[in-house]
Amino acid sequence: MNGAEAMENADMIVLRALGALLTYPSQELREALPEIAAAIGASDLIAPGDRGAVLGLVDLLASADPLWAEERYVELFDRGRATSLHLFEHVHGEARDRGAAMVELKAVYEGAGFRLAANELPDYLPVVLEYLSCRGIAEARDMLGDCAHILRAVGEALLARGSPYSAVFSALLGIIGAEGPDDSASSRRAADAQDLDRDWFEQPAFAPAPRVAAMDFGIDAAMANGCPRKEIAP
Amino acid sequence: MPNHEPRGCSRGASYSWYLYSANRLKYPMVRGRLVRAWREARRTMDPVAAWASIAGDAETARAYKSLRGRGGFVRSSWDEVTEIIAAANIHTIKTYGPDRVVGFSPIPAMSMVSYASGARYLSLIGGTLLSFYDWYCDLPPSSPQTWGEQTDVPESADWYNSGYIIAWGSNVPQTRTPDAHFFVEARYNGTTVVAITPDYSEVAKLSDLWLHPKQGTDAALAMALGHVILREFFLDREVPYFQDYCRRYTDMPMLVRLVRQGERWVPDRYLRAGDFPSALGEAAHAEWKTVALDELSDSVVSPQGSIGYRWPQQEGDGGKWNLEEKEGASGRGVRLALSVIDRRDDVLPVAFPYFGNRPHERFRGNDQGKEVLVRNVPVRRVELAEGEAYVATVFDLLCANYGLDRGLGGECARSFADDLPYTPAWQEPITGVAAEKAISLARGFAANAEKTRGRSMVIIGAGMNHWYHQDMNYRSIINFLMMCGTVGVSGGGWAHYVGQEKLRPQTGWTALAFALDWVRPPRQMNGTSFFYAHSDQWRYEKLGIDELLSPLADPRRYSGSLIDFNVRAERMGWLPSAPQLATNPLRLGAAARQAGKGVKDYVVEGLKSGRLKMACEDPDDPANFPRNLFIWRSNLFGSSGKGHEYFLRHFLGTRHGLQGKDLGEMGAQKPEEIVWRDPAPEGKLDLVVTLDFRMSTSCLYSDIVLPTATWYEKNDLNTSDMHPFIHPLSAAVDPVWEARSDWAIYKSIAQRFSELAVGQLGREEDVVLTPIQHDTAAELAQPFDVRDWKKGECDLVPGRTAPQISVVERDYPNTYRRYTALGPLLETLGNGGKGIAWDTREEVEGLARLNYTVAEDGASKGRPRIETDIDAAEVILYLAPETNGNVAVKAWAALSRATGRDHRHLAESREDERIRFRDVQAQPRKIISSPTWSGIESEKVSYTAGYTNVHELIPWRTLSGRQQFYQDHRWLRDFGEGFASYRPPIDTRTVAPLLGKRGNGEKEIVLNFITPHQKWGIHSTYTDNLLMLTLSRGGPIVWISEADAKQAGIEDNDWIELYNLNGAITARAVVSQRVHVGMCLMYHAQEKIVNVPGSEVTGLRGGIHNSVTRTVLKPTHMVGGYAQLSYGFNYYGTVGSNRDEFVIVRKMAQVDWLDRSERSAAE
Repeated sequence: MNGAEAMENADMIVLRALGALLTYPSQELREALPEIAAAIGASDLIAPGDRGAVLGLVDLLASADPLWAEERYVELFDRGRATSLHLFEHVHGEARDRGAAMVELKAVYEGAGFRLAANELPDYLPVVLEYLSCRGIAEARDMLGDCAHILRAVGEALLARGSPYSAVFSALLGIIGAEGPDDSASSRRAADAQDLDRDWFEQPAFAPAPRVAAMDFGIDAAMANGCPRKEIAP
Repeated sequence: MPNHEPRGCSRGASYSWYLYSANRLKYPMVRGRLVRAWREARRTMDPVAAWASIAGDAETARAYKSLRGRGGFVRSSWDEVTEIIAAANIHTIKTYGPDRVVGFSPIPAMSMVSYASGARYLSLIGGTLLSFYDWYCDLPPSSPQTWGEQTDVPESADWYNSGYIIAWGSNVPQTRTPDAHFFVEARYNGTTVVAITPDYSEVAKLSDLWLHPKQGTDAALAMALGHVILREFFLDREVPYFQDYCRRYTDMPMLVRLVRQGERWVPDRYLRAGDFPSALGEAAHAEWKTVALDELSDSVVSPQGSIGYRWPQQEGDGGKWNLEEKEGASGRGVRLALSVIDRRDDVLPVAFPYFGNRPHERFRGNDQGKEVLVRNVPVRRVELAEGEAYVATVFDLLCANYGLDRGLGGECARSFADDLPYTPAWQEPITGVAAEKAISLARGFAANAEKTRGRSMVIIGAGMNHWYHQDMNYRSIINFLMMCGTVGVSGGGWAHYVGQEKLRPQTGWTALAFALDWVRPPRQMNGTSFFYAHSDQWRYEKLGIDELLSPLADPRRYSGSLIDFNVRAERMGWLPSAPQLATNPLRLGAAARQAGKGVKDYVVEGLKSGRLKMACEDPDDPANFPRNLFIWRSNLFGSSGKGHEYFLRHFLGTRHGLQGKDLGEMGAQKPEEIVWRDPAPEGKLDLVVTLDFRMSTSCLYSDIVLPTATWYEKNDLNTSDMHPFIHPLSAAVDPVWEARSDWAIYKSIAQRFSELAVGQLGREEDVVLTPIQHDTAAELAQPFDVRDWKKGECDLVPGRTAPQISVVERDYPNTYRRYTALGPLLETLGNGGKGIAWDTREEVEGLARLNYTVAEDGASKGRPRIETDIDAAEVILYLAPETNGNVAVKAWAALSRATGRDHRHLAESREDERIRFRDVQAQPRKIISSPTWSGIESEKVSYTAGYTNVHELIPWRTLSGRQQFYQDHRWLRDFGEGFASYRPPIDTRTVAPLLGKRGNGEKEIVLNFITPHQKWGIHSTYTDNLLMLTLSRGGPIVWISEADAKQAGIEDNDWIELYNLNGAITARAVVSQRVHVGMCLMYHAQEKIVNVPGSEVTGLRGGIHNSVTRTVLKPTHMVGGYAQLSYGFNYYGTVGSNRDEFVIVRKMAQVDWLDRSERSAAE
């Protein structure tokens, strides 16, 4: 461990602060906001631009009508996949590998001497961040680096919804030196969806005999043979 | 027999990966606007006053009600939500009455403890529990009509025993996936398998023959099959097995009075022993004993087994309720005559109603130029107390109804090629099925039954039952099943698999679920009539009674709208009511005392004088609103809300896509029996609480959402009609996040309720109305005509001409203690079901040892404990004959007293067996034979319905004690359903007013709207699951035919809109050869919450499949107080049919995802 790393390790509390900001905006969280703001304000890990945005979120949570903030939170994080704060939702979804992945992650915590006390799953981002806040920067960079694409995707989904919570994801990505969420991501994803439709396009069962190898017999060839083109929705 | 395994199903397989899903509900949630008002009120008020201030303030109430379905939830705590719920319940009970607190939960068999949790709480506080089986339209009313049984069917393994299976409107491989292997294995066993479905379905692919009658016309085909079988197996040639079976086990030999109507005669009611001056020697219940002609003595006899023998008037009367071939009075052996053709006194022209001529814009009929069919029938003359009369046997009338030539002259079919009802040639233009195919199917089915003594089977499904005239679909099929002697025979009979209705340990469960251990009777309401009334669908009724009546009925007797018939049925004690009286039932005791009268007398006098009113006469009076609604284990507003948009408008008071006007707005004739109020109420419900594990459509429309444990997080029991085993649900993991089991949730509500009740509600007298119940002695209520006390046609006699009136005591502060302990009524009143009762003191003692007893002082001290879900499961298992051999032997002994035959041998070999929860956890156990069910459990035969009727000579629980081809109740006759026939779908009139009126530039076509069960979900469950969405098209889809698509310029995967007066749906089109021209098919039930764009018609997000439907009641389903046509919860009643509906279909011009947030749009 060199000197810079030691300093950064001392600053790890900021991960816990960022994680806390992603939890439900309960009375308890509202009361802790000054402390959170102080930790974020004092942190050198966060880039100045990100710091301002995160403090903006803190201000919003502190000043907004509590029930308004809670409704927004429920809409964002308690429903749907795109902005889920459970990391494995984005990796495994509803596939069975998710169980094993959670067991492994829990084992990592336990290996480091931590027992998950919260009524939460081990892949819940605030839990991950709280754990990392007790560990060194190297492990944090390593683990967050592994899931940078998830953090970016969630951040982008939040940006698309115009949510100030995206600041937390920018800050996290900044801390590990990864590229931040991209504003134009949502249009790119719509194009991906078109590709998805194209990938799943089924060949008509009784198309004329192909003149080229079946593997290369794509959608355009099918159309050239006079089959109706299936409309692919935007 | 092949093994039950493997029982794989893609939906079940995807479940375990759903547990941690992002769709999971994690915390108790409450509508933000509501909780803001609540917290504000709670600063200065106690909980009940706080709720009163919210529900009582129109502005506050509208503020949160109008946001239902539009987000705005916040997390809450269990303490806070249980307090809100308890306070709302207490306020409602105090102010309006306990019957204004209502609960809906379906299919108890799938997790019976979870069902019981809410049902027990509601039953203790006097709340109303709604039935589901009829509302889901899974209940086939033809089953109670024919057999006096809700539904009893063969297990799936029995398919393997069959020699000939018709899968009719039942898509076995798709909707019964785990059991489908038996269907396939039967084919390898040499069984002929026929599929009858309008579309080229999964089951069609599996079968030897696929017939595809036009959807909704199946009864025409089935009538033709019956015609062929009667011709070739009864008239041209007599099959000894069929003759013997029909003589002993059906009403074919029973005599029916004929009544003169001008030149012709019409079949009236069954002749009864009491019609004879001698009453045929019968002293008791002679008016409830059907009669037949005995071939041995050539005299009319009252044979044993009719319902008059079931309920002894005095001690020593019993023992003759059986199907032995004996005369009741003398015990002499008899042989009942199926026909009197060879010993007739005369031949009379008898008239039958004909409906095949009725025009329908989109269904082809077979006009015949008449609406009455006159057929010559051989008759006997008899001397009755009233004078001379003509009678005919059911068999002779049946042959006449089927149009068969008996050599008696007159109009009848001399060949299958004659175009006369109901020949194979006659059905061809209606169904599109070639006559020769119908003939060969009938021959194949009956010939197999003849050779195998009844091993021919029809698997029948929702596709048949969800039509308005489902009774005709079913009865025309049941008819030929009975003719062929298939019912009660291994490998034969009627296999209706719609809804997993079979709760095998039923009598153990009812005690727990309906709190029969503490208070009787519970409040139970038929769901369909309730929703029809309270979501105000009746205000839009366009189906006229004249469209339903038989041309032989006197229309003057039947005036008004459908809701009027329901109101009359409630008044006459036929159907239940909810709420019951237009008065808080807790206040009647005091009022009666003040008037110096008994409570019951006070209520009777009040109703007679008009001082007291029944709530059904004024459902839109705020005093009669159902105020609080609990939904659990159900997606009531999503999958199950027929008339979804009506629910949104009137029930919930939120935004809706309704396009039609009500009768008032249209200036149409209004109902007679009911107060019409303008404007129509919106938002009748003050509080909607839904328990679920995922954010379903129902949750979105609720005020409080409670996260419940899934199947892997709780302990429960599960049974099915498809196999004879009892299964556990076991908590493999603790409930995640803050979820709790249903048992724990209702327990905590009961606890908070009891605490808050102190000082608000104490021990209260509650007046409970119950309809005349099937399987009780009261079902011998109204033997002849229909009389309404309100019209002065008879006196008001509770339990005979009107609802039964009981006074029960509630102990509100002890609700929690009662919830968590087994009450004393099981010792004092015993236990039982389906008319069989037994002493169960030893089981209560056993449960005290097993569950321990309550040690704390108070109302439940010393009683067996029911703290946990496992305790509750043990109560069910210990009390039920199916899981406790000792109880089974007692139950069979109790039945033996009624039948005079010893049935105990059916359970004696398992007398010492007690199945415990830990036993079923170790391995699912096969249940013990019990008289609750008509099949037996044995290593020798598979479970099949009617087995003990045939083999033990236990009568069916019908008027005649036999399976009935004939329905002789006045309303069934006058509505044209004395005998089965074909009736075309009804005209719902929802399309014409909109056709061409809402142009978007695309071509409009009109299609019949069909909603079968799907492959990628179980109803709405899994339809939000990514794996299942990926296997399908990722959102709502509607299948249409290539020809219709071409006509409307629709290509596969296009966004289309379906709409009519009821509302609108948006979905993608699946263009497929599989679908018939003229219909479209949207799987039931795709959630509104996944990939649904805005509608061009409503301007709101597209609806769900129920958005284009509206419930339409059928009067014959309201009949009660009449043997098997008496009410039972989930047994008989109106049903929510929806397949007669049509929609306008067109391509969408604009696909708008409405993904601007509501607030940003508003700001």
